Amino acid sequence: MGAAVARALDYDAELMLRVKEGDGASFGVLLAKHRASVIHFVYRLVQEQAVAEELAQEVFLRVYRSRSSYEPTAKFKTWLFRIASRLALNWLRDEKHERGQERLDDGSPDLPLRQVSDRRPSVEQELVYAVKRREIRRAVAALPEKQRAAVLLHKYEEMPYAQIARVLECSESAVKSLLYRAYETLRARLAYMETT
Amino acid sequence: MNCPIQSRNPERFVAYAAGTLDPETARALERHLAECAACRSIAADQTAVWKALDAWEAPPLSPNFDQRLYRRIDQEVRFSWWDRLARTFRPMPLRQAVPLTASAGLLLVAGLLLQHPGTIAPVAPRGEIVRANQVERTLDDLDLLRLLGTADSTQSVHPDAR
Repeated sequence: MGAAVARALDYDAELMLRVKEGDGASFGVLLAKHRASVIHFVYRLVQEQAVAEELAQEVFLRVYRSRSSYEPTAKFKTWLFRIASRLALNWLRDEKHERGQERLDDGSPDLPLRQVSDRRPSVEQELVYAVKRREIRRAVAALPEKQRAAVLLHKYEEMPYAQIARVLECSESAVKSLLYRAYETLRARLAYMETT
Repeated sequence: MNCPIQSRNPERFVAYAAGTLDPETARALERHLAECAACRSIAADQTAVWKALDAWEAPPLSPNFDQRLYRRIDQEVRFSWWDRLARTFRPMPLRQAVPLTASAGLLLVAGLLLQHPGTIAPVAPRGEIVRANQVERTLDDLDLLRLLGTADSTQSVHPDAR
């Protein structure tokens, strides 16, 4: 029955049922498929690379630990991101008082923004990108944690409202409200970028 | 189309910027945007936000991420086995240990008795063996005396009879 439900839900849930039966290779497949998205989601939420990787390790460790009690009641990705969200939001809550705004500037490596053009950017362009990147990170970091998580799941994981609601364990209307307020704030802070 | 602002449907702008509106609704919204400056401004801003977020790349992953994870899983699996084993032999409270040990001892003795009944047959104490031998010897002595007594009486009658 479990396998039939898993098949109906998604292939990942079926893989997880195989992990439950002792198939280590299926865990490897799930890890390879979701590793990057989990780390990136957690990174954008906590904005510290080392912490993001550590939390992502914990996410997959928890997935592995839960293998014997796993039941495919929801999509695997929903379950996976629920674990990731809980861990990251708890970390943010614990760190809230210790975390200074300046760490947002110094806590992670200087990465170039995604380049649209194939040409190598000039020093001037690099500077513009660096300023933009900092502004985006600051704008996202300034959002309340749950709004931030909702935006990241919506924007980067392309999850529909219903799935975000299941990940964040709230109602669909609460998700709509979270996203509305989050995008309103982001529009006020980032909309000028279109013209720069 | 109803004005998304007036109809309190702001997620239309989000879906429009994300490109997830169905083509028909998107066309209707575009027609509305051409007429409504307020909606046009929000839609443009939302599109700008969407593009800005697009440009935010996450850093590359550590090359040894999987290796570290599998090491942790290995440690956990090993630890859980050791823990389970250690839990089996962990000393228990005296109140539980005494009756359990006594029961186990009784069961062991009972098992041995059932398996080898001959080897654990009751052995008479040494004193009783000595006493039994003495009784036997005394009875033998009495029989001998009785025989001797009979012989004497026969011998004494016989000469007189002669």
